[in-house]
Amino acid sequence: MSSNDNQNSESDLLKFISLSLAVSLILFYFSTNGLADDFVSVAWMIPVFPIISFVAILLFGHMDSRKGGSFALAGIGLSAVFSLAIAYDVLIQNSLHGEYVESTRTWFSGATYSFDFGTYVDALAALLLLVVGLVSYLVIVFSTSYMEEEGDRQVRYFAEISLFVGVMLGLVVANSFLLMFIFWELVGVCSYLLIGFWYEKPSAASAAKKAFLVTRVGDVFLLMGLVILYSTFGTLRYSELFDNPEDLAANATELKWATLCIFGGAVGKSAQFPLHVWLPDAMEGPTTVSALIHAATMVKAGVFLVARAYPLIVHSPDTAIYIAVTGGVTAFIAASMAMVMYDIKRVLAYSTISQLGYMFLALGTGAWAVWSAAENGIEDHAQGYTAGLFHLMNHAFFKALLFLGSGAVIHSVHTQDMREMGGLRKAMPITSAAMGLGVLSIAGVPFFSGFWSKDEILEAVYHNSEAEGVFGILWWLALLTAAMTAFYMTRLWMMTFSGPENRVVEEMVESKDHAKTGNWVLKSKTIKSHAHEAPLAMTVPLMILASLAVFSGFSLFLGEGFGSRVYYGHHADSESMIQWSILDHILTSSLTYLSVIVGLSGVTLGYLFYKRDSEGQTTFSPAFVESFAVTSYLHVFLSNRLYMSKFFDWFGMRTWDTVARACDWFDIYIIDGIVNGVASASQFFSSQVRKLNSGFTGHYASLTVGGLGAIIVITRIIMPFMGWSL
Amino acid sequence: MIDPINFVVFSSILLLIGAYGVIRNKNAIVVLMSVEIMLTAANVNFIAFSSFYNDLSGQIVALFVTTIAAAEVAIGLAILLSLFKQRDTIELDLLNSLRW
Repeated sequence: MSSNDNQNSESDLLKFISLSLAVSLILFYFSTNGLADDFVSVAWMIPVFPIISFVAILLFGHMDSRKGGSFALAGIGLSAVFSLAIAYDVLIQNSLHGEYVESTRTWFSGATYSFDFGTYVDALAALLLLVVGLVSYLVIVFSTSYMEEEGDRQVRYFAEISLFVGVMLGLVVANSFLLMFIFWELVGVCSYLLIGFWYEKPSAASAAKKAFLVTRVGDVFLLMGLVILYSTFGTLRYSELFDNPEDLAANATELKWATLCIFGGAVGKSAQFPLHVWLPDAMEGPTTVSALIHAATMVKAGVFLVARAYPLIVHSPDTAIYIAVTGGVTAFIAASMAMVMYDIKRVLAYSTISQLGYMFLALGTGAWAVWSAAENGIEDHAQGYTAGLFHLMNHAFFKALLFLGSGAVIHSVHTQDMREMGGLRKAMPITSAAMGLGVLSIAGVPFFSGFWSKDEILEAVYHNSEAEGVFGILWWLALLTAAMTAFYMTRLWMMTFSGPENRVVEEMVESKDHAKTGNWVLKSKTIKSHAHEAPLAMTVPLMILASLAVFSGFSLFLGEGFGSRVYYGHHADSESMIQWSILDHILTSSLTYLSVIVGLSGVTLGYLFYKRDSEGQTTFSPAFVESFAVTSYLHVFLSNRLYMSKFFDWFGMRTWDTVARACDWFDIYIIDGIVNGVASASQFFSSQVRKLNSGFTGHYASLTVGGLGAIIVITRIIMPFMGWSL
Repeated sequence: MIDPINFVVFSSILLLIGAYGVIRNKNAIVVLMSVEIMLTAANVNFIAFSSFYNDLSGQIVALFVTTIAAAEVAIGLAILLSLFKQRDTIELDLLNSLRW
């Protein structure tokens, strides 16, 4: 394809995007015009558009010049516009005043039960709509260019990703746990399909299977939790469950098990310890899928679920602590593993697990704070809740940015191994700058978005540690995680972008007379970089996401501040919620400076260790690690992912092998024994009886006559004689 | 009027003769004939009781039995003919391949 064609298709794409967005704006205007300015009541349409485009792509995708991309852009664009309008209405105009709007229809009903479907929009749903709508639209724009090499297979890709966006938005606006569970499972199916997009690769196929099965473990827990909820309270609708706090408080034991089980579902979907093993393998899918599903949206479903179930969780402190501990431990171990990975996408995958752990830590902390405040008879807002969801939003933006950036890099150099990269800074200026902003953001460098939310989380945890010792330990873990995050993200950027463009590598090769002498010689060869900047459809979403990654943190201070919209519990005009006092608080707190120092030292260490010199070598070479027994052991231990996968395999082999052997024995000797015994007994009996069938007519006739005679003798002689009657 | 017990005894004797013929004989044609004797035994009963009760239904049934017996003999003889063509025999003792 000549560059001219390229330019044409690019301007076509831009025209199409602007046109489709304009049409969606007009449609949006008309659909809401009759409803005053009540955007929220059209929330049900949001998940419908991408599902329509899913069907349209399946039917007509092959006719489209972009192989279904146009339908996906149009459908998801419409949803994005509607989502942003609702987010604007709820989060900026504050049209709901902390309440919710529910619309509902009966789905099916019986004598004693009825199930509804409908939408439930509150600040939490609006926040998720903002994140999912915006990020998925940008990812779709990115994919129209990124997936171009796939040809006709793009139809499948766009169909699956449209379905995914539709059901994810449905999950967000659903009005009952039951409806949410249905979308939850559909999201899992889409994830399975998209991880296995290159199903002809065995590693991709097995990664898809692994993701599906591991998340299924969590889903079973979630279903159990919903069954407990339904049998206790007789409903699964959010509004009916949440509006009766007395009823909830009266059933604390059931609620404890129900919330623990629901959190089990979140552990599976959000890849928390010990079910985190599927997410790194899920990187076998296309990078855009990793960006959308395994970083920005689907894995947030678990966080969303916990936030949604907050009115239930605040009644059981055990669950709250369990959530916080799981989050803290996951954040720590995932960050430690991210430090030794060489695959650029795996680093980001572990980083995602770690950041999700941060969010769970914050949510668990907040729920515990609300519970303990209620125990002491005071009302408190959950700082952890606000902090966790604030981090969710920021993380969605900067992690989508980092993934899409790594996608642009992979697209350009056709490798995922960071050791083979380096020096891409000059070739890919926009990508490297955008990713640099993302790195600074996630590392918690002051005034980037990650800094604000991470600081809020650390403070919420520290705040709790005075009342409960375990939060002190979690605070230390979180602080260490912050340092490690800064370190491995800097490492990622340095290994990928710093250093000279072309570099010389030396490797041992077989000498010409190797066959005779067995000699090896040192040969140096120059790797020429063919890297080039990504096309516009890929860089524009990167730039938008980069600006979001930088500025989304300031939403803490915009208007009345993030915390005055997304909060749980007592709100009113408490001092700590007013935006300037937050800023004042953050800037004067010694905790802030501690976390800044930790973050910056992580960045500095990463820079010092992994800056590529003029020959493209990193200062901190693998040989350096292996020169110390402790570090080399640690490196191997972390590189093997704490042997978790191996342990699961071993454990699975041991337990299931034993169970399977027992079942096998039972099957062979008991079940088969009964079946074969019945069979051989009847075989023996019939082999005797069949001898009656002699083939001689006379035998048959005499049997008939004899039988008749026997009947006559019995009925006419024996029975009257004995006094019986028929 | 003859006592109907005589007819019943007579037809029972006929029936037993027919049954004996069916059981003991090896020639298929004789077996067919024995079957006819058994049918005749039934017919004797029908007609006897028809006249005893002054009801014509018994005689009508006897006519039907005769008709069906004729048809049966026609089919039976046709089977025996083709059997003879195939096997060169109608000895029932030699025709015992339909067995276990």
